[in-house]
Amino acid sequence: MKAFLKNVIDGLAVDYADIRAEEVERTGILYRGRDLDEMERSFERGGCLRVFHKGNWVVSTFNVLDDSLVELAEEMAARVGKLPSAPGMVASLGPHDETVPLALTPESDAETIDPRAVPLAEKHALIRHYNDILLAADGISTTLSRYQDVHREVAFLSSEDRYVNQRFVDTGFSCTAVAKDGTDIQTYSDSFGKPLGFAALRNREPVVERIARVALDLLQAEPVEAGTWPVIIDPLLAGVFAHEAFGHLSEADQVAENEQLRELMKLGSRFGVDELTIVDDATMFGERGSYRYDDEGASAERTELIRHGILVERLHNRQTAQQMNEPPTGNARALSYRFPPIVRMSNTYIEPRSRQLDDMLESMERGLYVVGSRGGMTELESFTFAAKYARLVEHGRLTKMVRNVTLSGNVFETMKNIDMIGDDLTMFGGIGGCGKEGQSPLPVGLGAPHISIKGIVIGGR
Amino acid sequence: MVDEILALAHRRGVEAEVYSSEVDRTLVEFRSGRHHSQETRLVSGYGLRVIKDGRLGFAASTNQDRPDQLLDAAIAVAEESKDRRAVFEFPPQQDLAPVHIFENRVMLVSPDRMAEWGKDLVSALKARVPGLKLDLSFVRTYREMRIRNSSGMDLGFERAEFELDASGLIVGDGLTWIFEYLNLSDGRPFNIEPLADRLEQKALWAQKKASLPSGEWPVIVMPTALTALLLPVTLGVDGKNREKKTSPLVEREGESVVAETLSIHDNPVRSHGMMSSPVDAEGMTRQKRTLFTRGVFNGFLYDIRTAAACGTETTASADRPWNRLPQPSVSNIEIDPGDRNLDYVLAETKQGLVVDGFIGEGQSNLLAGEVALNASSAFKIEDGAISGRVKDIMIAGNSYEMLSTVDAVGDRQRDLGRWFIPFVRLPSLRIASRE
Repeated sequence: MKAFLKNVIDGLAVDYADIRAEEVERTGILYRGRDLDEMERSFERGGCLRVFHKGNWVVSTFNVLDDSLVELAEEMAARVGKLPSAPGMVASLGPHDETVPLALTPESDAETIDPRAVPLAEKHALIRHYNDILLAADGISTTLSRYQDVHREVAFLSSEDRYVNQRFVDTGFSCTAVAKDGTDIQTYSDSFGKPLGFAALRNREPVVERIARVALDLLQAEPVEAGTWPVIIDPLLAGVFAHEAFGHLSEADQVAENEQLRELMKLGSRFGVDELTIVDDATMFGERGSYRYDDEGASAERTELIRHGILVERLHNRQTAQQMNEPPTGNARALSYRFPPIVRMSNTYIEPRSRQLDDMLESMERGLYVVGSRGGMTELESFTFAAKYARLVEHGRLTKMVRNVTLSGNVFETMKNIDMIGDDLTMFGGIGGCGKEGQSPLPVGLGAPHISIKGIVIGGR
Repeated sequence: MVDEILALAHRRGVEAEVYSSEVDRTLVEFRSGRHHSQETRLVSGYGLRVIKDGRLGFAASTNQDRPDQLLDAAIAVAEESKDRRAVFEFPPQQDLAPVHIFENRVMLVSPDRMAEWGKDLVSALKARVPGLKLDLSFVRTYREMRIRNSSGMDLGFERAEFELDASGLIVGDGLTWIFEYLNLSDGRPFNIEPLADRLEQKALWAQKKASLPSGEWPVIVMPTALTALLLPVTLGVDGKNREKKTSPLVEREGESVVAETLSIHDNPVRSHGMMSSPVDAEGMTRQKRTLFTRGVFNGFLYDIRTAAACGTETTASADRPWNRLPQPSVSNIEIDPGDRNLDYVLAETKQGLVVDGFIGEGQSNLLAGEVALNASSAFKIEDGAISGRVKDIMIAGNSYEMLSTVDAVGDRQRDLGRWFIPFVRLPSLRIASRE
C-alpha cells in the first residue's frame, strides 16, 4: 500500500501533500418492536488526497484507488498553485513508518476484537435477546434496538514520507423502550459501545432491564418547572458538558482564524474554579475516541485543556498548530475517507476530585439531580443539553422524578458556577458520536465525576 | 456492474433491486473572510436488496469489481432474516414525474468563479460591517441515481444542487453567530446585494444586547428557526411511526392538529428543491401531498414496505443513502404563505421576541412532539422594533401544541433548500431566561 500511495504524491510541486486510503466493513441490525427492520452489511473502499500550497488547500475524495490518482494529484497540484497565496503553513512532523496492530495493548488479541470474525447469526441473536428483554416488560409498546460494528483499515502517507497504517474497530448496541399511555409517549434509551470487540457487548442485561423500567417511570413523571435551579449532574451529562460546552471551544480551528475569539480564549485565562481540570486524551485504552495516530499522521496525545481552572492548552491539527505557534496535539480526525480531517476531540473528561455524591446531595436544600443525556449542542459559548430525566432534591434527599429537563446557558459563566467535583470519574462510549461540519457521528469518549453547579437555566413547562 | 449483479441474482433464483448513486460535489470555502480550500468529493455506491424465499436481504458496496461479494452478503443477510418476511414485490417500470432539478448553468460554474463570488461578498460586507469576518461555503452537487430491478424497472435521474452558507462571528458583549443561506440551484446569477443586506441587518441587530424576563411573550419564529418546531411533525407523519404506533398522529386523520392558519405540504416535485426527484428511492412516481389542510391532518407518508405492513399503498416517499435500506421520509416541506408582512407584525408587537435560529433540535423526545430549544439567535422586540439580541433563552414544550396556536403567517415563503416556509407568530409562548 505504501508504494501505491507514494506513487500518487511523490514529486508534487507543493508545500505539503498527504493521502489516506481506507477499507471499511460494517454490519448493522435494527429491531423495531418485534420486527427485524434492518439487517445490513456494507463494504467501502476509498481515499482522500490533499495538497497544500501557499496557504490554500485543494482536497479530493474518491472511491477508486488506482493509477488514475497520479493524474488527479498532478491536476490538484496545478490548481492549488494558481490560487492567490495566503499566509499559513502546516507543521512538519518528519518521516516515519509504522503499522499499528489492532490490539492497543500487548495483552489483547486482535482476533478476539475483530467483529468480522463473529458470525452474523451471533450478532443477530445478541440484539434480539436484548430487544426481547425490553418487550417482556409490561407497558412497553415498542422498541428500537440497534447493533452495529465497524472495521476500518486506514493507510496514511504524507509528502514527508510519513507512513502510518492503522486498524480500528467499533462495536456497540443501543436500546430504546417506548412506553405509551394514551397520547403520552415516553422513550428511554441507553447504549454501550467500546472498541473492545463483540465479546464486550455480552452480559449487559442489567443495562437493558433498566431501560424498560425508566421508560415506564417517565410516564408517571411530571415536566420539570422551568427556571434557574441548583443542580448536581451525573457523570454522563457532565461528560457531555465537558465535550460540548467547553471542548468545542478549545478546538483551535475557529480560534486560529478569528482574532477576537483568540483574545477570548487566551491561554492563561481563568475559566473555572481551582478544582476544575478538563483533559482530552486519545491515548486511553479501550475508549471510543482512542487512536495511536490522527488522520494527519500526528501521534495521539494527552492534552490538558484546563488545569486548576486556567486555560492551558488547546486542540490542534498541523495547520492551526503552526499558525498559533503551539505544539501539534494529534487532533486532526476525519469521519472517513469521504472527508478531510478537521480538529476534533478524542476522549474528553473532567478529572475527579474528592467529593462524594452523598456530600453533594446533603448540602442541597432544593435542587435537581440531573441524569443522562439525550444530546447536547453548542453555538460558541451558548449550550443546550437535554437530560434523560431528573430527580428533585429536597432537604438533601432524592425525591420524585421529573422529565423534559433541558439545561441551557453560557459555558463561561457555568464553569465558574461549578462548586463541587466528585470522586467518581466514569467514561462513556455508546454508538453515536460527535458531529461537526457534517462529519457525524465520529466516535468519541467522554466522562466526568458527578459535579454540582450553583444555578443553571432549566427549560421545562 | 449492475447488469452483472442482476444476472448473477437471476441465476441464483433471487429477486433483486440495485440502487446506484453517484455524487460529485465541489466545495469552495472561505474562513474568516479568506479563501481557505477547494474540495471535490466523488462517491459512488450500490445498494442491493434481494428477496430470497420470501425473505429480505440487503448489502451495499463501493467496490465495482466485486459484484459476487455484494450478492453473497445480501443473500447471507436474507438467510439470517428468518423473522423478516418480505411482504412486497419489487415494482415494475414507473413514470417519471415532471420536475425541474437540473440546470446546466449550475454545472458550468467553476470553483474559480465561486471563489470570485466569495471574494466579492466578503468585500461588500467589509464595507458595510467593519470587523465582521465571513465564513462562506459554496457547495455544488451533481447527483445521479439509478434503480434497476428484476421486475423490469430501469430508471434514473440527475439533480444539480448549488447552495451557499454564509456565517459571521460577532464578538462584542458575548459571542453571536449570524448566518444566511441561499439556494442557487435554479442557475440564476448570484446576486450579492440582497444577501449582503440580510447579513448587514442581522449584524446590526446582534451588536446591541437586550434582555427579556421569563414569562409568556409573543414570539415571531423566522423560517430558519421554524424548521426546529417542524422536526417532530416530520417524524409524526412518517408511516413507520404509524406502523409502530409511535406517532401522536395515529388515528387522527381528519382531525384538526395544528392551527387553521397552517397548510403544510410534502412536495418532492418542487422546482430545485434539495429533496426533489421524479421518482422516490424505490422508483415510484413522485407527487405533491398535502399533510395538513388548514390544520387538519390528512395522512402519513409511506414507502413500499411500510405501506404493505400498514395495509395501504406507497406514497412514493422512500428515501435512502446508497448504503441503507429505504425508509419513508418527508421530502421538501412547504407551508402556504399567509397574508402578514413581517414589518407590520413587528410594528404591532409591544414586547416580544424574534427567533432566527435555535440550537438543540433533535435532542428531546421528538416522537412525542417534545422540543427543548435554546434560541441561539434571538432578538427582542420593544415598541414595535428590534432593540437588540437576547441570549440564554429556552423554549420548551410540545411542538404540536405550539403550532396549534399560530395566529399569523408571513406572506412569503423562504427557500431554505428543503424547507419552503414563511415566518409564523406564536401569540403567547412561555420562555425561560436568566432574567
